[in-house]
Amino acid sequence: MKESIMIVPVFLPILYGVGLMVLRGIENQDYYKKLTELIVILNSLIIWMILIRHVGRNGIEIFSLTSWLNIYFRLDGMGMVFLGLISFLWPFATLYAFEYMERDRNQRSFFGFYTMTYGVTAAIAMAGNIVTLYIFYELMTLVTFPLVLHYKDRESRNAAIYYLIYSIGGATCAFLGMIFMVMRAGNGIFQFGGFLDSARTENINLLLLVYVLCFFGFGVKAALFPLHRWLPKASVAPTPVTALLHAVAVVKAGAFSILRLTYYCYGTDMLKGSWAQKVAAAFVMVTIIHGSSMAVKEIHFKRRLAYSTVSNLSYILLGAVMMCPAGLVAALSHLVFHAFTKITAFFCAGAVMHKTDRHYIYELDGLGHRMPVTFTCFTIASFSLMGIPLFAGFISKWNIAQAALVYGGRIGTAGIAVLLFSALLTAIYMLTIVVRVFFPGKDFDYESIKDCEDPSWRMKLPIIVFSIVILVFGICSGPLLSFLELIAKGGI
Amino acid sequence: MEGSIILFCLVFWPMAGASLSYLIGRKNKEIRNLFADFVVILECLIMIMLLVQKFRDPDPLYFSWDKFCMMGIHLELDGFRLLYGFIAAFMWTMTTVFSREYFRHHRNRNRYYLFTLLTFGATMGVFLSADLFTTFIFFEIMSLTSYVWVAQEENVSALRAAGTYMGVAIIGGLVMLMGLFLLYDAAGTLTMSQLGDALSSAIETGRLNVTRQYLIGGLLVLGFGAKAGMFPLHIWLPAAHPVAPAPASALLSGILTKSGIFGILAVTCNLFRYQPYWGYVIVILGILTMFLGALLALFSVDMKRVLACSSMSQIGFILIGTGMISLLGEEAALAARGTLLHMVNHSLIKLVLFMTAGVVFMNTHKLNLNDIRGFGRKKPLLCAAFLMGALGIGGIPLWNGYVSKTLLHESILEYMSLFQEPATNSLVGSYSFWKSTEWIFLISGGMTVAYMMKLFIALFLEKNTDAALQREYDRNTCYWNPESKMAILVSAILLPVMGFFPGRVMDPLADLGVGFMNCQAPAEKVAYFSASNLEGAFSSILIGLLIYFLFVRTVLMKKDKDNPKAIPMYVDRWPVWMNLENVVYRPVLLMILPGFFGILCRFLDSFLDLWIVLLRKTIYRQTGKKGRIFNANFKTKMAVTGLVEKMFAGSLSFGLFLVSIGILVVLVVLFLHG
Repeated sequence: MKESIMIVPVFLPILYGVGLMVLRGIENQDYYKKLTELIVILNSLIIWMILIRHVGRNGIEIFSLTSWLNIYFRLDGMGMVFLGLISFLWPFATLYAFEYMERDRNQRSFFGFYTMTYGVTAAIAMAGNIVTLYIFYELMTLVTFPLVLHYKDRESRNAAIYYLIYSIGGATCAFLGMIFMVMRAGNGIFQFGGFLDSARTENINLLLLVYVLCFFGFGVKAALFPLHRWLPKASVAPTPVTALLHAVAVVKAGAFSILRLTYYCYGTDMLKGSWAQKVAAAFVMVTIIHGSSMAVKEIHFKRRLAYSTVSNLSYILLGAVMMCPAGLVAALSHLVFHAFTKITAFFCAGAVMHKTDRHYIYELDGLGHRMPVTFTCFTIASFSLMGIPLFAGFISKWNIAQAALVYGGRIGTAGIAVLLFSALLTAIYMLTIVVRVFFPGKDFDYESIKDCEDPSWRMKLPIIVFSIVILVFGICSGPLLSFLELIAKGGI
Repeated sequence: MEGSIILFCLVFWPMAGASLSYLIGRKNKEIRNLFADFVVILECLIMIMLLVQKFRDPDPLYFSWDKFCMMGIHLELDGFRLLYGFIAAFMWTMTTVFSREYFRHHRNRNRYYLFTLLTFGATMGVFLSADLFTTFIFFEIMSLTSYVWVAQEENVSALRAAGTYMGVAIIGGLVMLMGLFLLYDAAGTLTMSQLGDALSSAIETGRLNVTRQYLIGGLLVLGFGAKAGMFPLHIWLPAAHPVAPAPASALLSGILTKSGIFGILAVTCNLFRYQPYWGYVIVILGILTMFLGALLALFSVDMKRVLACSSMSQIGFILIGTGMISLLGEEAALAARGTLLHMVNHSLIKLVLFMTAGVVFMNTHKLNLNDIRGFGRKKPLLCAAFLMGALGIGGIPLWNGYVSKTLLHESILEYMSLFQEPATNSLVGSYSFWKSTEWIFLISGGMTVAYMMKLFIALFLEKNTDAALQREYDRNTCYWNPESKMAILVSAILLPVMGFFPGRVMDPLADLGVGFMNCQAPAEKVAYFSASNLEGAFSSILIGLLIYFLFVRTVLMKKDKDNPKAIPMYVDRWPVWMNLENVVYRPVLLMILPGFFGILCRFLDSFLDLWIVLLRKTIYRQTGKKGRIFNANFKTKMAVTGLVEKMFAGSLSFGLFLVSIGILVVLVVLFLHG
């Protein structure tokens, strides 16, 4: 049973996280920090081994209550993309968190929950049926909730409550859908093209209604309008949380679940051209514009990036609702590229907050001259987000637009228009920052920022590595895209 | 990667040089300057080598790198691209040599060199591109890197102009991208040489209708036109040039606008080669751009602003030529040659003019005509260089601008002659429209003469109102160093050389380029100095003289009322409110749209929260009086909520009790189900 190794990347971080918080033996900060990094790297290594050997192809049942209520892991192509992504990001993000959290008093609980989330996210990536996906999706809310609450002040308590209400509310919708699907189709193991058989269904509208319910249920984590409000509020959490969880792991898990729902539960044949697709597409487009517009209005650095995440998550969903293989390629490519882009942007914002304690955009004038590495990387991330050629974001934007054109019709054309309008807004909200930091104006008083400087290597390394990844993907994305095309054909 | 690697080097060598020069510049500034010179001179030499080779072996070179940035980059070196690549390299060489002196006392020079060389590479990429995707990639890079030129000085007006520049560039880029999406969808290819066939087959199979074709064309032209300075997207041009450093203005006006024209030409000659209505639209845009630019130039009192508006006006001339290519269809040889030559001429002329403006600014740090008046007196070489540029752009016979303007004029006349035999062709517009087009063309030419006279007379003939300043100007003899002198004079000497021997110099240049425009060489050689052609030029000059003496000297100059003997001053009579940017674009983009979306967003953002709050206040209203429970001590708490309720609701066992009920229910369900 070599598949049983798939349990390790899920339970190793969870058990370690629990142990770190419960066992009172280790008090030395340096010691448990090193141990945490070690565990995270070990976990990533195991995951890479699984990915390279492609171990989880056959699937393994971990625990089963009845024939349909069971925990079942299986790794297919889409799971591999998500798993590979998080396993690359997590060690760097943990490294970054060491410096960012160095002055914090509750580091044990922080690193405990932070590491536990790794396991839960890995489980979502490897989930082989809808029940497993749902259970870990719910668990993710509970594990990340304390991280939002971390600073325990009024603002973060408020944000945490928001987070909980929205997530639980969404999970309820998803729960209904899950039960419905399981009742309909037995064990609910994902298969490309959908396990729900439309031919056997007498009432197709009921099925579509359940799809819409689930779409919004999972859409909460993907910050779908009007359920997006928790995301900007949650940016009060420490930056490693906002960067890794609220720009990648948690929110991408939402988008990932929607992709699973659309392409692996229902299948595009059933949904294409239905009213459910139109509803989903309409909300996705509204979210794109809404998120970008709010980002332009926002003057808080991290909240602006958070609104930008709202809009960009819906780029992924826009690819998804095009209901064609090209759409899945587009959605997955944006899932990967946006992850790198946004985590870089957030890490840069975090570096500024950590070194200078500046939180608002109007305070950033001229900082590019004192923190060149940070802001060069931020510029790269901005260009990628805007979709300038040579940067990763351009590739996915092009792919999404191509998918929209392949789909054609009114939805397709509207999708492209929305995409480009949002790109314009993106340019406004990102470039205003870039211009401000590098061109503060002739009369700017450089004395006022002379204490600011780039952070240490532990913060710089992740930022630089991710920026390089953005450039590499921007210039040479061929291998990844052909892998994604293989997935979209149902080949893996 | 396949094909000739030299094309790849042409594009990426300046970019690599840029990063190297930045690193060197952090250690030593002098070596950095020399290195930057080396980078551009080497590139220029390679271009000359390729140009020489071209006459021996006329086959174009290709280079392609599939999968680069997904769609791959494809470069090609045919006659037109070679010519424009060479001009770009030449202009960069001259301005970089000139930059050394110009920037001597500037801050942030390292940044300037880095971005200049990056822009150089990107511009080469645009001019060498074989498909529109490659064009787009380098076009975007070029737009972003050239932002730094405009913002270089970092004063208020520079930052504002840079913002406008960036805004126009980004909107243009996105519009272009939209066009490319649709084009790719319709044609299935973006390679320029295949576009024509692909589109006609798409139209035959019904995948593309004419409306869609025009939509695509319109989007692309809007995108490229934004960079070219086409009306109504010209707003960045008059704002950006005066604030950018002079070498950068020369490049902005001489080359970057041409990259936009390159795109428009590629679209026109491949997508709409034989569609007269398309040509008609482009001609109308051209007329507006040409006339408005000339008018703005006439009113301006800032030397570089005059030159900038003049650029806009000349772009209008080029656009008219571009439109005529589509209109004339099979007989478009003259129009194509005129367009190409006017592009070349304008690039070279503006190089000279902006560098002389740079010399003026370098010495006086002013650009207002009243301040720099008389600076050029007793400086014969500077005067000669400027004069060459002025005569060239004014279309004076024997200078290069005359040749291309004549060709453009000729092509309009050619189209008018088709009206004599109306049965033969499906003509667009009426005879009177084309007659008035010809007149506007001539009047714009006249205005060109007038504003160049205004500059020349102010700078080199008149004395400054401030006698002390004039003495200082007269004493200033070392106003440029040998390098700058060489750069400016070499550039200036080209203009009359081209104009004196149009058959020897201009015709071969034109022959190089027409293949790109899908045109053949004309059947017979053009007699440039025939009586009918000279007549057009002289009527333009006459109009120019009239405008200068009857309008500029009277309306645009003001005498001091108290002191009638004083020399009249130049005044800016252009109404302040007539500014497209300030009246339309900025309010719409910065006030109306954000205001509307802002209110909408604020409402939408709290849309769901409203419901939650509503529910909290109604159905889920907390029992008991607000605030009382938390402040109360044990005794009052008992009184308010009741002992039993509190003990159950707040205890762990109550929670466990609920959990076990839940588990029981699940078990029952499972039991029944199984």
